[in-house]
Amino acid sequence: MNHTGTSLKENLLSYFDDILVEISDEHRLTISCKKDSVITILSSLNRNGYNHLALISCVDWIKDNELELVYIISAYTEDSEKGKMNILVKTKIAREKPELLTVMSIYENAEPYERELHELYGINFKGHPRLIPLLLEREYEIPPFRKDFDTRKYVQDVFDKIPFVEDKKGRK
Amino acid sequence: MDRNKLGKWLQSPGKMGQKYSLHALYFCTGCGIIEIPPTITARWDAERFGVIPVATPRQANLFLITGYVSVKTLRPIIRSYEQMPEPKFTVGFGSCPINGGMYWDSYNTIKHLDKYIPIDGWIAGCMPRPEAVFVAVTHLWTLIDKGMADGYKKYREDYHYYRENQEKILGKLEWPPLFSSKKM
Repeated sequence: MNHTGTSLKENLLSYFDDILVEISDEHRLTISCKKDSVITILSSLNRNGYNHLALISCVDWIKDNELELVYIISAYTEDSEKGKMNILVKTKIAREKPELLTVMSIYENAEPYERELHELYGINFKGHPRLIPLLLEREYEIPPFRKDFDTRKYVQDVFDKIPFVEDKKGRK
Repeated sequence: MDRNKLGKWLQSPGKMGQKYSLHALYFCTGCGIIEIPPTITARWDAERFGVIPVATPRQANLFLITGYVSVKTLRPIIRSYEQMPEPKFTVGFGSCPINGGMYWDSYNTIKHLDKYIPIDGWIAGCMPRPEAVFVAVTHLWTLIDKGMADGYKKYREDYHYYRENQEKILGKLEWPPLFSSKKM
């Protein structure tokens, strides 16, 4: 492991109590934290120069009844060791009525990612200025990326129910 | 010009004109668009067959839908199809518009495109080669000759059925019906 990663780990562990920092690869740091401390961790990382939010991803752990959010963060910098670093901030939230504070105040480009997660996983980001649909046109009862969404049944109920025009004409 | 076809030209010049000047509108929805640049440029040169790309739907009479159609893209597809002047021919390119292809159980992909707009021909394959476009074009010529490429007439006739299907999937459409609806 390089020096940047270890020093960052020590730095983070000295500031925050209930976090788990793991060096999972040469340039990869995984931080697991509670959902309340996401904002503080992200803002401290941002102040340390890790100023680029690459992606917000989400994993649905249906057996644990939890949704896991992953913030992937890197840096735009002259320092090559620092520039190679990938930091994954992971947090778990409840699956029923999931709510989280928006991180748009720290990383402004979180806006489309949070909108996407809102429509695909049904996560409500508090403080987001416009949580309107990004990609989807239709209303879904269960957000479609959740594990309990049955795509095959949905296709049978919606797309297969629409008749061919020739069939319709034949029947009338 | 082929002298053998002189009779045909004199008999129905309009039809021959439609056949040999297919102005194609490429609806670049999915991966199919990768095949289109070699098709229209020097390598395969679609202009040998009279197929030329145009910029807007109002100049086109051949509509190529290249690739999967998501629910959101169905709306512009219908709008562009309705803007095209008649006679217009539609060709679905690739297996995804035919029956969903690899997206057969996707939650947001249209499975059978011919439920929403009339399609004159399909090119099967994932992906079809550029040669397949020319096979489709030559086949379309025979269909036009025989008067069988009549998707636009069907659309006029059965417009209320198509509109009903479109509204089922897209909700309320924000534009008025293209044709006055007949009695249901």
